Amino acid sequence: MDTSKPAIFVNGALLPMHVRKRVRTVIQVVGADRGAVVGKSPDDLQLVVKGSPPSAPLTNFVEVIGIADSEKSIQAEIWTNFGDAFDTYNYNQLCQLANGEYQHLFL
Amino acid sequence: MFSSSQFDATSAFSGGGFMPSQSTQLTDSTPSPAKSRNSLGVVPVTVKQISQASQSGDEKSSFVINGVDVTNVTVVGMVFNKAEKSTDVSFVIDDGTGRIGCRRWVTENFDKLEMEAVQDGMYVRVIGHLRVFQDVKQLVAFSVRPVTNFDEITFHFIDCIHSHLQNSKLQGGASTQLHMVESSMNTPVRNGQTFTSNLMSKQFDVDGLKDCDQLVLDRLQQSSSIGQEKGMHMDELCQQLKLPMEKIKESIRSLEDEGLIYSTIDEFHYKAT
Repeated sequence: MDTSKPAIFVNGALLPMHVRKRVRTVIQVVGADRGAVVGKSPDDLQLVVKGSPPSAPLTNFVEVIGIADSEKSIQAEIWTNFGDAFDTYNYNQLCQLANGEYQHLFL
Repeated sequence: MFSSSQFDATSAFSGGGFMPSQSTQLTDSTPSPAKSRNSLGVVPVTVKQISQASQSGDEKSSFVINGVDVTNVTVVGMVFNKAEKSTDVSFVIDDGTGRIGCRRWVTENFDKLEMEAVQDGMYVRVIGHLRVFQDVKQLVAFSVRPVTNFDEITFHFIDCIHSHLQNSKLQGGASTQLHMVESSMNTPVRNGQTFTSNLMSKQFDVDGLKDCDQLVLDRLQQSSSIGQEKGMHMDELCQQLKLPMEKIKESIRSLEDEGLIYSTIDEFHYKAT
């Protein structure tokens, strides 16, 4: 068992609190910009995801796990296609719960 | 569609010959106040919760999470380090809160087929039995299924929070009820008898009753146990519990529907079954 390297659930608003830590979020892909992927966070903020995306084409929604390298960007290690339909409202609520009252279940 | 109750824990037990401890575990459940029927269900948890779980008593296969005995859990996470051997497949699940080692015994073709579909980097839902092997907690998996709708991941973690709340509430609720019974124990009833402590265990018998229902039921059980043939009058209940008559009537109706109480000499007197 190892709980030393958690990936914290974040939305756009929570990301600045976790700079240089390992985070996870789901973005809705908007486009690409100089080798990075630009996406919309579950709470509708713009995020930049760096790193090398998988060879398979990205779907509309993509989960990224990696290090928050600034208040608006993530250096991704793991990319997972979440398909073309995903409930971002629920995910956003979960991000808030996982960083608030119920943080002890996650961190 | 993702409900963890879909998984029938008992049928999973009946199959595998690899886990002889489970059959005994099911039968020798000694009743203790801390145990709830949840101890036999599948509990959604995060790996972080498992890491903090303490082992309950001497039993190697029982853990306490949220103050409730837990043996079977479900986690949702990503598969890593999958290794196939002739008798089992081992892998690590990372759910973002931590990593835990899992093992799936491969006894039938079905197990083999299910595990062939599982690859490193894939999100899966694992249902398994929590145990300690060489001082390390691990999951002995009965079921490992790839996640196909990713809302299941969100659902799982919300389910963990929900289950955590439910179990902590269950304990909180039980303790407040205990207080109420204690305080009523100090008040001598008409014939001078005080209630005996064996009444305390009764309140754990009935889950899912509303607070008011529980109070009414407790009071009626107390009156039956001291041998009041005709039970109690609604007015008496109303007075003693200091609750509005409407609420008492409502509770009596639902308790009667549940078959937990019945009317005696007239429609105003009720007794616990």
